[in-house]
Amino acid sequence: MQETHKQSNKFKTRAVYTPESQVRHPLKLLRAMWRDLVGSRELAWQLMKRNISAQYRQSVLGVAWAVIPSVVTASLFTFARSSGAVNIGETDLPYPAYVLFSTALWQTFVEALNGPVLAVGQAKQMLVRINFPREALILTKLGELFFNFGFKLILIAGAFIWFQMPLSWSAILAPVALLHLVFLGTAIGVFLAPMSAIYQDFAKGLTVIATLWMFLTPVVYPNPRAGGGIFGTLVKFNPATPLLVTVRELTTTGIVSNPQGFWIASAIAIVGLLLAWLFYRLAMPFVVERMSS
Amino acid sequence: MVKAVEREPTITPTVTPTEDKADVVLSVQGVSKKFCRDLKRSLFYGVRDIASEIVGVKGGSQNLRPQEFWALKDVNFQLRRGESLGLIGKNGSGKSTLLRIIAGLIRPDAGIVEINGRVAPLIALGAGFNPILTGRENIYANMSILGLSKQEIDRRFNDVLEFAEIGEAIDAPVQSYSSGMAARLGFASAIHTEPEILLIDEVLAVGDIRFRAKCHRRLQELRRQGTSFILVSHQPQLILNVCTQAVYLLKGEMMGSGEPSAIMNQYEEDLFSTGKQDKLGAVFIDSKGEGKSLGIDIISIFFRDSKGKIIESPLTGESVSLCINYKAYENREIDKVYVSFAIQEIGGEGNVVLRLSSFDDGEPLDVLPGRHELQVHLPNFALRPGLYTMQIYIKKDSLYTLDFFESFRFVVKTNRTMVQCLFYQPRTWSSVKKSDG
Repeated sequence: MQETHKQSNKFKTRAVYTPESQVRHPLKLLRAMWRDLVGSRELAWQLMKRNISAQYRQSVLGVAWAVIPSVVTASLFTFARSSGAVNIGETDLPYPAYVLFSTALWQTFVEALNGPVLAVGQAKQMLVRINFPREALILTKLGELFFNFGFKLILIAGAFIWFQMPLSWSAILAPVALLHLVFLGTAIGVFLAPMSAIYQDFAKGLTVIATLWMFLTPVVYPNPRAGGGIFGTLVKFNPATPLLVTVRELTTTGIVSNPQGFWIASAIAIVGLLLAWLFYRLAMPFVVERMSS
Repeated sequence: MVKAVEREPTITPTVTPTEDKADVVLSVQGVSKKFCRDLKRSLFYGVRDIASEIVGVKGGSQNLRPQEFWALKDVNFQLRRGESLGLIGKNGSGKSTLLRIIAGLIRPDAGIVEINGRVAPLIALGAGFNPILTGRENIYANMSILGLSKQEIDRRFNDVLEFAEIGEAIDAPVQSYSSGMAARLGFASAIHTEPEILLIDEVLAVGDIRFRAKCHRRLQELRRQGTSFILVSHQPQLILNVCTQAVYLLKGEMMGSGEPSAIMNQYEEDLFSTGKQDKLGAVFIDSKGEGKSLGIDIISIFFRDSKGKIIESPLTGESVSLCINYKAYENREIDKVYVSFAIQEIGGEGNVVLRLSSFDDGEPLDVLPGRHELQVHLPNFALRPGLYTMQIYIKKDSLYTLDFFESFRFVVKTNRTMVQCLFYQPRTWSSVKKSDG
């Protein structure tokens, strides 16, 4: 029994390492990518369980941390707006609900953005010692993200009930748009993860960019109308805008204001994620080499 | 009466080497690797390497860029099922780099590594251990990282638990473990992944002596089952005990490969630039010169029989003297020294079988300037027949070492019958007539 298991394993795990660029054998490369993605599901599951239980075991507030940043941001802007400190236009939804919902979505996007960079940084000791499918780190972070989103969902549902907002039937499509938003963040994160392991500048820069990016996305303010100067243009060409707005619209009004923008941004996110994955995979051995030399 | 079989003083490989290619689990052909000394430049080269990988430029340029050096240069060897290979070399000679290439962590700059089977690195004891989580949770995470599925871990879990000897603490957080406990848990998890090739990098020094012996036993067991090993160790005994072949690396270059004791000789010759042991049972060392000496140098080690004749192999049960010839320098004012030695059986479990010290015995030995001999007389030599290795020290006190020899190898023979004896017990038999009988 054990012996046959060993035998079957023996043929599964044939490996050849050469200095030749993997790009020269694209079919082999794609097959290996797929194999590792599928093969890393179980490891990702174990790592996710490990990370989540470790994270909340040393915390009093526990899972509340999944929603606290959104609640704080939402309260801050609601207070600032009502006291007239900031001038924010009318929103379709009651403002507190609007900003709570949007920041929860934005927070999820930022988690997707930071996840891969954090994962590679935290797994340094593992990376330099064990050759496990590197895809597992990304899947782990995605799993944690959706786990956290579960709690954000409770918060959002609470806001909908409190403000007695009607739910559009199209809300069942919202997860698709949300997934595309997560893909966009993950694509950028996965692309930056190997680089940030070599140069710390990338991780530091990412924090700055994430803050700036939030203000270029209609999170705390409503969609800018057509025109609207340079700022409006920036917001419009920001690929996160149509994705985030579409999630919100599908859930509430059911009318997608910019379907074309949504599909372009989705294409950017999906193609970007595939390219980022390819880059991540090709770059990681070199990163590991420089991590420890 | 059963005639005692004289033990072969060589290690018999568990798998007879054949030219059958299917048996090769690991083949390393012409592997080279460049490293860079300067960090900033190294990082920059890393980015450049990534760029050329993505563009698809044929990798592995044979030219060194500024500040680079060959961490490994043209290394070749093969490992068959059930064989074990020892990597020997000073620190920084490229041993760990080679292991990392074999483990698939980094890519070679030239050459090919082919692997048939699962490789488990024992380099990484407890990698991925999270101190907050319990031992139980960490076993699952750790063994998953090492490539096992949930079902496979479930199946092995009890074995791991039993091997690690953690007991009740398995449900306590790992941060409450002693370093020995954590290391045991890491070792137990790694060794139960049942790989075809096990990479071991200086990790057998963990835990107490009993656990170490257990690890060695487990390794021997795995070897019998056909697991191949690559072992990096600074303990010559361990390499001699476990390995069927050895590779000696010096500054990334392969200085030699083949039979472990021959390679070990070559290594020690370079390391100590002293005499090499051509044959078992006697060693002659070139003088290292007064400049390098601490006042007294070992120049030869051998045995004498009861008549004072130099012998190659001590005989079990006979009277024998271990002789250490030294050269002492006049102006160093060393008049008394202590001699100590520890003997291990080659191919055994790695335990010291005999350790004697004149310091412990409270017997300082007089030292005279010039070339003279120190002797320790051993009536009824107690070691059973076999192949042994001995570490010998000449010390000024219990700590200060004046000179030493790392691995003096000798064969013990016998002309007696010794069945099921771990050592020789001197004895006399008699029949006593009782007066009232």
